[in-house]
Amino acid sequence: MQNIQDNNQLQTSFKEANSNRKKRISLHDLANVTLFIAAFIGIWQLVYVLGIWPEVSLPSPIRVGESFVDLFEDFTIFTSIGMTMYRLVIGFGISIAIGVTMGLIMVKFPGFGKTMSSFALGLQSFPSVAWVPFAILLIGLNDAGILFVVIMSSVFSVIILTYSGIQNIPPLYVRAAKNMGAKGISLFRFVMIPAATPSILVGIKQAWSFAWHALIGAEILIAAAVGLGHILLVGREFQLMDQVIASMITIFAIGLLFDRVLFSKLEERVRERWGLDQSIER
Amino acid sequence: MSSVEMVRGEEDARTNKVTDTDTNTNASKNSEKEMVILENISKAYNGNKTNRNSSNVNTSRSGSSTVLFEHIVLDNLNLRITEGEFVTIVGPSGCGKSTLLNILAGIDTSYTGKILIDGASIKRSPDTDRIIIFQEGALFPWLTVYENIEFGLKIAKISKEKRREIVMHYIDLVQLTSFAHAFVHQLSGGMKQRVAIARALVLNPKILLMDEPFAALDVQTRRMLYDQLVKIHEKTNKTILFVTHNINEAVALGDRAIIISPKIAGIKKEFKIDLPRPRQLDHPLINSITNAIIEESKEMYTSNSYFTSRYGNYSTESKPDLELESPQSQLA
Repeated sequence: MQNIQDNNQLQTSFKEANSNRKKRISLHDLANVTLFIAAFIGIWQLVYVLGIWPEVSLPSPIRVGESFVDLFEDFTIFTSIGMTMYRLVIGFGISIAIGVTMGLIMVKFPGFGKTMSSFALGLQSFPSVAWVPFAILLIGLNDAGILFVVIMSSVFSVIILTYSGIQNIPPLYVRAAKNMGAKGISLFRFVMIPAATPSILVGIKQAWSFAWHALIGAEILIAAAVGLGHILLVGREFQLMDQVIASMITIFAIGLLFDRVLFSKLEERVRERWGLDQSIER
Repeated sequence: MSSVEMVRGEEDARTNKVTDTDTNTNASKNSEKEMVILENISKAYNGNKTNRNSSNVNTSRSGSSTVLFEHIVLDNLNLRITEGEFVTIVGPSGCGKSTLLNILAGIDTSYTGKILIDGASIKRSPDTDRIIIFQEGALFPWLTVYENIEFGLKIAKISKEKRREIVMHYIDLVQLTSFAHAFVHQLSGGMKQRVAIARALVLNPKILLMDEPFAALDVQTRRMLYDQLVKIHEKTNKTILFVTHNINEAVALGDRAIIISPKIAGIKKEFKIDLPRPRQLDHPLINSITNAIIEESKEMYTSNSYFTSRYGNYSTESKPDLELESPQSQLA
């Protein structure tokens, strides 16, 4: 009886340990960040007061704040963020789907895989904006053109890390799985993909970064009707520096949010579950 | 040779009493069918790619220069294992014992000879009727203990309720019920091996192949696992082929200990260990058989190099690393 109780306790404690992650924002960190932002705005204000640049080229922080309010008031910022996010999700999603599938095909056909991986490696470092003229001529000045640029810039990271992730799976896992009857699709689904997940995640994180760069660049160059890039473009054309800076801050914030909140959380969870964090006991 | 005979005699005398009381089980054991039959298994590595010492070898003595090097790992090996038997294989590393296991498991497919499992000759591919347990466990870190044990059943598309029933039974057998939801990295080395054993047993294999499963564990854990493995063997009556380089382990666990010698690339000697279980690891009979095996092994050891007889007189750096200590020192 005692034993059963103990067992139950142990079981729940394992469940808790696995689900409960001690995660709280420390006050210390928060103070540091606030101080940093305050210092940044302070210096900005100081440079503005010194009057090195005319106001048109460098508006005050307050002016930028007002511009933010304007953008909020007529909902431009929301529709722009919404549209940009929509493109990002679609483009990035397609990119992950193609990338992982391609990675698997490359593992299945080693000859193709070897060639393709060096090809993909070259294209991975290809500047994303350099795809723009090609996209405009091939597809046109539209959303599909933007998506094309986003996909081309990010898909190769996913391909490479899926491929290398699966290549680097300990052969023992595969041997054990085959011994237990796994083959073909079940081997891919239940062993290779989960085993390569930490690596695939690194690829996705990297791809996100490339996709984000490419998306804003493409939005500026392939004059989109709506989007954060479009605000930048309009700001440049009408010499609205406050709007340009407001848009840049928004882009920065979104990037930070994705990186800090989404991807690091995801990575932390995966690393913990896969037992990769054992050396860093917290 | 005489020492071995002596051991055999001694062993008979000691076990007589036990066999009398246990006639039932013994009789049924004797009448049981042969689960595994290995016939004339031969395996050779040849060519340039295999051996680290091969680069300096000049095979001018052989007329043709096509085959640069041939290393025969197994030479016409024959072995029969009856159902429910616990057979251990000992030998120094490089003697081909792991190769034999891989051949049986269907992982190594380039060999000649015939293998029958439960009367049917096997395909040269892995199958769930022969499950191998590796030294490192090879558990999947992304799954919990429960999910790891469930893995083979899930692949076999067994219904969820049925799976649960089977998994719970075996997780209980290896006494890890309270760790069902733990991840693999939260377990100790001994627990990992118990999970590996449960994961193999759920598939109800005809033979369990164990490739030095306890070699990476400390002595206390190892002794605990001996007890558990013996109990599991008793309860499930699985046929087990257990490969190890630890002589004392082989003698303490097996119904039969088989010595493989790299010199003859095959079975050098067999020892029947007719001792009731649970066994005391420092039982005098275990000690004397262990010592007899050590004597046998010394012969392999003292012969200059075990390649000598086959490949001329070049010397090799590799030495057999069979554990030659006395059983006492192994237990310390």
